[in-house]
Amino acid sequence: MTVTTLHQQTSTHFMKSRLSADNLTLKHGKVSIIEHLTVSLPEGKVTAIVGPNGCGKSTLLNGLSRVHSPSTGAVLLDGKDIHSLPSKEVARRLALLPQDTLAPDGITIEELIRFGRHPHQSLLKQWAMDDQEAIQYALHAADLIGLKDRLLDTLSGGQRQRAWIAMSIAQETPLLLLDEPTSALDLGHQIEVFELIRDLSRQGKTLAMVVHDLPSACRYSDHIIAMKKGEIITQGSPKDVMTKELVRELYGVECDLIPDPMTGSPILINMKRVRN
Amino acid sequence: MINQSLSITHPADTVSAPSGHYLLSLGRHMTILIEKHAIIRNIGLLILLSCACIATLAIGTMPISPKDVIAVLLGHGDAMSQFIVQDLRLPRLLAALFTGAAFSLAGCLMQTMARNRLATPGIIGIDNAAMAFAVSSVVGMGISLAPSAMALAGAATATALAFGLAGGSGTRGYRFIVAGIGIGAIAGAVTQLLLSQVSIDVANSAYPWTVGSLSARDPFMVNLLGAGIALCLIACLLFSTQFALMPFSDQVITGLGANIRHIRILALVLCVTLTGLAVAVAGPVGLVALAGPEIARVLARYRGIPLISSALTGALVMVLADLFGRTILSPIELPVGIVTAVVGGPYLIWILIRRTSRTSL
Repeated sequence: MTVTTLHQQTSTHFMKSRLSADNLTLKHGKVSIIEHLTVSLPEGKVTAIVGPNGCGKSTLLNGLSRVHSPSTGAVLLDGKDIHSLPSKEVARRLALLPQDTLAPDGITIEELIRFGRHPHQSLLKQWAMDDQEAIQYALHAADLIGLKDRLLDTLSGGQRQRAWIAMSIAQETPLLLLDEPTSALDLGHQIEVFELIRDLSRQGKTLAMVVHDLPSACRYSDHIIAMKKGEIITQGSPKDVMTKELVRELYGVECDLIPDPMTGSPILINMKRVRN
Repeated sequence: MINQSLSITHPADTVSAPSGHYLLSLGRHMTILIEKHAIIRNIGLLILLSCACIATLAIGTMPISPKDVIAVLLGHGDAMSQFIVQDLRLPRLLAALFTGAAFSLAGCLMQTMARNRLATPGIIGIDNAAMAFAVSSVVGMGISLAPSAMALAGAATATALAFGLAGGSGTRGYRFIVAGIGIGAIAGAVTQLLLSQVSIDVANSAYPWTVGSLSARDPFMVNLLGAGIALCLIACLLFSTQFALMPFSDQVITGLGANIRHIRILALVLCVTLTGLAVAVAGPVGLVALAGPEIARVLARYRGIPLISSALTGALVMVLADLFGRTILSPIELPVGIVTAVVGGPYLIWILIRRTSRTSL
């Protein structure tokens, strides 16, 4: 009992979690991207994974979503090895929004979102009330009602990203992993996507996202995992982990941190490249 | 908030099909979606195909009126018409129908799997390898020792090689294609080498295998091909929702709960079976695999994976090509493979020029 309490205080690994990696090693060919990594996503929270390019953030996300098979260790979804569960079963609990957004030709927004229902459907149950409701809900949540019959190719980057997120929403999973959901979006669209992520978290979803922008990561997440060279350097609440030292270690950038006057979340100023 | 507005705008007590679909409810728990456009498209193609079939049965050295053709097909008609239609022209028509459908369906599957519209069984060397194996059996034995079975073996060998050389899972379409082109070239060269090493008579007997011809094919293989197509079409329908996911990236496909390796292996097995059986009937008429699915995609307005339509357009192209080859220089017969090459070559160039702006090429 005491031991458990102690662990809960000292290690996030023992936090209540539905998705975790245990001693995970992920390789691209023969090169290890991540070695013996143990991590878990706190339930009902937004986790931001940050770190320099090539540090293994996306690989970790792909590992956690069973796209990338582990060389050692395992990813545990609700305590079971994710690769031992039927893929459709996993897809009803865990959705992934990858960076690569290749879509079928000539697809409309609504059709794209309908694909999100795939894990809930089968050969003899191709369309039911819950499908219809989930799609309506996703269209509302991502503010796409008026655009539902537009072709995906004809949308702006922000609208297209919202459509992809809507597809994940229609999947109705308690867990959602997003790989750089705001990359290539302008400021307005970035905020829009982050606020949507916040809303989803308020509804009780567990989210994890790879983010490059540190102030956004601090502002829109409850938990930060900082990675470098395939290892987790530190993790915890944004206020606790975001320090000058961390920024220097991750990116080789010297800066000052000030709290946002409105929200209190850290903002980076006076950024300078450190020359070794 | 959102739920409120949802209930206001959509009182939704009943399920309605998504736009452009029919909802087929069988009992409470069975629901099947059918795309309206696909129904119209495929019925239209079936009508066209029926007309082409009747024309094929009617036209020839001894013309028979379409009315008499239909009478014969319904079991009536005079003995002479019956003989010409049923014994002379029908087997050849069936061979054309089946090979066209098989090549085209295989083409559509492979293009979908490789996410590349040039990835047809012909281009990745399955046709050529099947041909090389068939020719080697004709040439090697001096007699036709099961060249049909050899063609199947050749198709399987080429696919296994292309798949292996592309690095197992074959996730990158172009590696698969490049490996396939190499295998196809080698198989083509082996065929030529074999033909150049034997007497002219043996080379002549092997010749039909190298150009693609529908004259005097093995009726057993035609029936086998027909059965193969039926099974493959059923498999395509059963797995249609999984095949529909193939244009997405691997991550999305996995994320949506489909097993990408299983789908790929299934598609590959279907491709090899269809192509191998079709080459065993007609030799390499691979360009149908390029043209058939492309026509089907145009008719489907570039939406979805038109597997059934591809089978129908392929059959239509083959029937028309054979009719053309039989009649244009009558009484000389052009092998159907030559007709499809003459029409298909420029067609391929046209696709390349017309759709360079599209990313899917």
